[in-house]
Amino acid sequence: MATTSISLVREQTERLRPPRALWVPFALGRPLGSSADPEFQKDVMRTAFGLLDTATEPTIADYPIEAPDEAGPGVWACPLNLAPAEATSLGDRLLGEVARLRPWAIETRRERGRTLFGASGAGPDDIDEVARAMAHIAESGDVYTSPPSEVAWRHPMPLLIRHLADDLRSVYHEGLAGQPGPGAPNHDALNDWIFGGTALGEVFLRVADHLSEADDGMARLVRGLLIPEGHYHGGRAFPETKEFGADSEKEDER
Amino acid sequence: MVRLNDLHESEAEHLRARAAAMPEMQVERWLTPRPLAESTVAIVSTAGLHRRDDPPFTLGALDYRLLPGDVDFGDVILSHVSANFDRSAFQQDPNIMFPLDRLRELRDAGEIGEVANWHYSFMGAMPDPSRFDETGTEVGRLLAADGVDVALLIPV
Repeated sequence: MATTSISLVREQTERLRPPRALWVPFALGRPLGSSADPEFQKDVMRTAFGLLDTATEPTIADYPIEAPDEAGPGVWACPLNLAPAEATSLGDRLLGEVARLRPWAIETRRERGRTLFGASGAGPDDIDEVARAMAHIAESGDVYTSPPSEVAWRHPMPLLIRHLADDLRSVYHEGLAGQPGPGAPNHDALNDWIFGGTALGEVFLRVADHLSEADDGMARLVRGLLIPEGHYHGGRAFPETKEFGADSEKEDER
Repeated sequence: MVRLNDLHESEAEHLRARAAAMPEMQVERWLTPRPLAESTVAIVSTAGLHRRDDPPFTLGALDYRLLPGDVDFGDVILSHVSANFDRSAFQQDPNIMFPLDRLRELRDAGEIGEVANWHYSFMGAMPDPSRFDETGTEVGRLLAADGVDVALLIPV
């Protein structure tokens, strides 16, 4: 069986030297370059498949076409006003935001016929449960005890925090996608929005502080997996590569 | 845009360090497949994709999940841990990471022979790829046993 591959981080592919690789100038999380542009995606695939005919030794070819633009910071702005009128606590503000986004998120789910929500173990309708769980962690500071809930969480703490965050971000992304407005925001625009003024970003940052204070390798690692690089005041997201590997092995043993 | 110079400095530094720490791999045997129009093609992803009822990936996972060739995207979620890619593009169109619809279209157009019965998903973000030797070899055997001629490897 032969292989051909897509490469996103060229430096890593150069090191690994797979038989055939097509380096693409696309963002992480977008290896085929463009959502909902089947012809663009197929052109990338045809180019990768073409290496099966042309390569006679380990080869990295460069895909010559940039991905169609998404809207970056300064171009895209959230059309919803998420600030609740009356909220006394961070948790209430998060629940208020979620309540405003939910109708749009549900509309998006209906249109797409699917949702990515549920990595934590929550069912598709457990949006408030996930928000309450994350708010509980932020307000209690407890990053080791699973938050009280009827949901059968599918990850241990503190790793569960990472997946609660993903589920909440799924709701926010779905909420945005249901609204009329300019082109889809890119990775940077989404992060600038979430960490630049939403209660969700505030909750994430407070939980990140708790994880940092825990003085525990796994908690620090989850902190790095919670906040995208450049959005946390407490230093770089990732520990050194060696330390990451050591933590992964520890996790394997649990 | 994943030119490292376009990323946040810390992330670029992290990915460079990852690259430098990776072992150099060797191609053991060069294989030339039959013509693509006669080939059965499978996707192998490292996006941490799986069906909703499958066990989610754990941190540092070396195992894999099966995705059948007729899987409904409504049943596919991901439990990759990285925060440095957002899931919005996948939410909009799963084919951007796992282009099963595109494979079906290429088959219907006669550009590939067949879409494999089974596709595979691992979780990436593993500093030392050689730790996948055992499960990677196993998946290679399973793909070959399923009559797959070409595997398209897609990172995230």
